[in-house]
Amino acid sequence: MDIIRFIQYIASGTAYTLGVTFVALPSGLILGLILAIIYVYGGKIAARILSVYSTVMRGIPPIVLLFILYFIMSGTINLSPFWAGSISLGVISSAYQMEIIRGAILSVSGGQMIAALAIGMSRLQAIRYIVLPQTLRLAIPPWSNEAAIVIKDSSLVYALGVPEILRRAQLISASTQQPFLAYTTAALIYFGLVLFTNTLLRRLENRLRIPANP
Amino acid sequence: MKKVSVVLMVMFLLASALVACASPEADSVLDKIQEAGTVVVGTSADYPPYEYVDESGNFAGFDIELMTEIAKRMDVELEWTDMPFDSLIAAVQEDKIDMSISCFNYSEERDEKVDFSDAYYTSEDAFLVAEDFAGTITNAEDVANFKIGVQSGTVQDEWVTTELIDAGLMEEANLSRYERVDQAAMDLQAGRIEVIVADSVPAQALMGQFGGFKIVFEDMLYTGPINIVLPEGDSELQERVNSIIAELQSEGFIDDLAVKYFSD
Repeated sequence: MDIIRFIQYIASGTAYTLGVTFVALPSGLILGLILAIIYVYGGKIAARILSVYSTVMRGIPPIVLLFILYFIMSGTINLSPFWAGSISLGVISSAYQMEIIRGAILSVSGGQMIAALAIGMSRLQAIRYIVLPQTLRLAIPPWSNEAAIVIKDSSLVYALGVPEILRRAQLISASTQQPFLAYTTAALIYFGLVLFTNTLLRRLENRLRIPANP
Repeated sequence: MKKVSVVLMVMFLLASALVACASPEADSVLDKIQEAGTVVVGTSADYPPYEYVDESGNFAGFDIELMTEIAKRMDVELEWTDMPFDSLIAAVQEDKIDMSISCFNYSEERDEKVDFSDAYYTSEDAFLVAEDFAGTITNAEDVANFKIGVQSGTVQDEWVTTELIDAGLMEEANLSRYERVDQAAMDLQAGRIEVIVADSVPAQALMGQFGGFKIVFEDMLYTGPINIVLPEGDSELQERVNSIIAELQSEGFIDDLAVKYFSD
């Protein structure tokens, strides 16, 4: 097999890798954001339940959780491996993103909430207009870390039968006996994706920076 | 009040999960396949010459071509799903795929979870070693004296585990289980293991691909016939597949395939 075809075959898995990431990362963000707000402002019981959620989700290797969630889901709803894998990764990522956003919320000083309530804002308004705009900015640097992790973890869905970059590298290394070339190609693609994402997020961070708040 | 509603919600979720688990599969998968006009077949395309990726990136191999013909005779489209070998049985069990063809040997352990078609081919096991291998293997059990590599989840893995390790003939530390058989071949080349126990056809293929290997022992250990894996208890589908296999055998189609893929 000539080298261009070889690389093309592996690279054509990039669509799946990106697809999985584009489902997992935003769904994890939305879930993580909601959970983080509930964690911080939702009272003691909610905080306790969510701390268990986060400990469990972060304490189990993603591949194990992926299988558990996949087989729980396939018992109730019939999803394709792509969707099941992506949603499962999103759920796993939501625990990490919850902690990232919770940390960012807590770093906004509590006096701001009291001040907002004092000028007559409701709690929800204060969260929406005072806390979150600062929180989301603060969360970008740690969040870019999570984005890189999700891109790389997307390779785990190969175990469910999604032909993404890693699985393609494995298949082609099995049929051509060129593992070094196959895995180097895969590594370069992942590296490129992560580099691109992180550069983009760094720009976003700079653009959104509050001038008085370096 | 809040606590009560949480408890109720958890109970409701558990109950709905149980109901979903308990609902029986009334329809045959065969009906589902014919209704959809597509049969979804799982394979682990990393086991040449049974199943692998060819030069243009398509699936090819003995099993692949055989299944293509079976689907044609069932008068349905064929859709491949590639996944790691150890995920295949679970995927059939969970109805993620309709059936799986991936050089599966019959074993009682597997038969508890899924059904098997009639055998479409009979294969042997082989011990693959480096060309400068100096040991002697007269009985199959003699292999216990060496460092062994197998593909995890295969019947060869099961044979080494039960007949050699559980029987106390060798230490588990001397067995390396690989996700794919070509990884084992690379370690054999590097000298990290001394013997690969594998199906004889892929073993011969590895010999051709890598060079510097030889086969020192060939026999039917555990393996023998290979079958298509089908969902448990679906006799309608099983009969249909079996009758097509019988047809293909009597027409000589399978023998021709064996010559095409295995005779070099």
